[in-house]
Amino acid sequence: MASRAASAHPNKKYAIGLARAFGGAIIFGLPNLMTMEMWFLGFYLDRTRLVLFLLVNFAILVGLSRFSGFEETASVKEDLLDALAAYGVGVIASAATLAVFGILLPGMSLGEIVGKIAVQSVPASFGAIIARRQMGDKTDGEKDDEHDVAERRGAYGWQLFLMVAGALFLAFNLAPTEEMILIGFKMSPWHGIALVLLSVLILHAFVYGVGFAGQEQPPEGSGFWRLLISYTIAGYGIALLVSLYVLWTFGRLDGADLTQIASITGVLAFPSAVGAAIARLVV
Amino acid sequence: MARTGHEGRSEKQGRKRSSQPPLLEWISAGVGLLLTLAVLGALTWEGLAGSNGAPPAVEAMISRITPVRAGYVVEIELRNRSSATAAAVEIEGELIRSDGTTATSTATVDYVPGESTRNAGLFFEDDPRRHRLEVRALGFAEP
Repeated sequence: MASRAASAHPNKKYAIGLARAFGGAIIFGLPNLMTMEMWFLGFYLDRTRLVLFLLVNFAILVGLSRFSGFEETASVKEDLLDALAAYGVGVIASAATLAVFGILLPGMSLGEIVGKIAVQSVPASFGAIIARRQMGDKTDGEKDDEHDVAERRGAYGWQLFLMVAGALFLAFNLAPTEEMILIGFKMSPWHGIALVLLSVLILHAFVYGVGFAGQEQPPEGSGFWRLLISYTIAGYGIALLVSLYVLWTFGRLDGADLTQIASITGVLAFPSAVGAAIARLVV
Repeated sequence: MARTGHEGRSEKQGRKRSSQPPLLEWISAGVGLLLTLAVLGALTWEGLAGSNGAPPAVEAMISRITPVRAGYVVEIELRNRSSATAAAVEIEGELIRSDGTTATSTATVDYVPGESTRNAGLFFEDDPRRHRLEVRALGFAEP
């Protein structure tokens, strides 16, 4: 009897975590699920780039599971299980929603259906994996574990990783839209410089203002300049690289010349920088 | 009361749980693994068997002709025989009467994805079944 109760309890707890994961998948997936560019990308996106992006996404899921999966994890094995489950939730939630919208129909080819689901599964699985922290109410035991998690989060490598994850998520949401290119055309070089400065400023405000999870004080020897270089400038570099990668994935750089690439990347790096900045709060 | 006892063990349980995840976790991870492999597999297969740069090949066929108040609706099925997607596909139907005069109607379809079909319709005043009607895809843009 007692052993039965003990084995039923973790399953029930996990089921609640799964339900939250579905909620997170829908919330984070909706902006893309209801954007037609995202459906169209599903069938014309280059397959090699899409598969590569899904693998990158999976690696991010495993990393995020380290400190915010819907189960507390203590080993790489559990992170893998967590990431697989989150990706499964992302796929199911995306497929179900697209089917209800009438975007997936029986007459469509397998490639079109799988492609549409695969594109949507990226933000949805991201939502699934961070759902626990966003929606979970914590027991005392979990608060104890949070301390370990917070210590892990404090490490510089993890801080950079979180910035990559946040930048990737926001860049993925915005890169498919035509407006990225349009804004690039509308801006003069001076507007472009202003946008870069604004991005760095916002990023630094978050780095400086929000402080460091799990630490009372900023890392030792971290004066203004130290923070600016090792977090803000590093973070903006991440935002630029992530933007470039996401734009390449969506084929936005094909046939563009260097100045055009610079301008589109600069535009997308703005939301990427914001994503990098707030990742530490959201995740 | 019972709760306190449970929390006292939570540290150990946490370790124990890490070595033995609940059954539901294995099931969800298993379903996730299946879906992950299915998505990756289907996309990789499509990528390998893909167009290799072949252009879209869109065929237009008449699927149904329906009389309506203002004339006739000719429903067209567009089938893309290539795996490359065609965007902004323009279709034209030309009705050739017995006296040699013609009537032309056109329509544009946003996307015809690779290996897929899309439907469109053309309006005519005369009954296309009593005259000669030719439909064809005029052209496309790359997405």
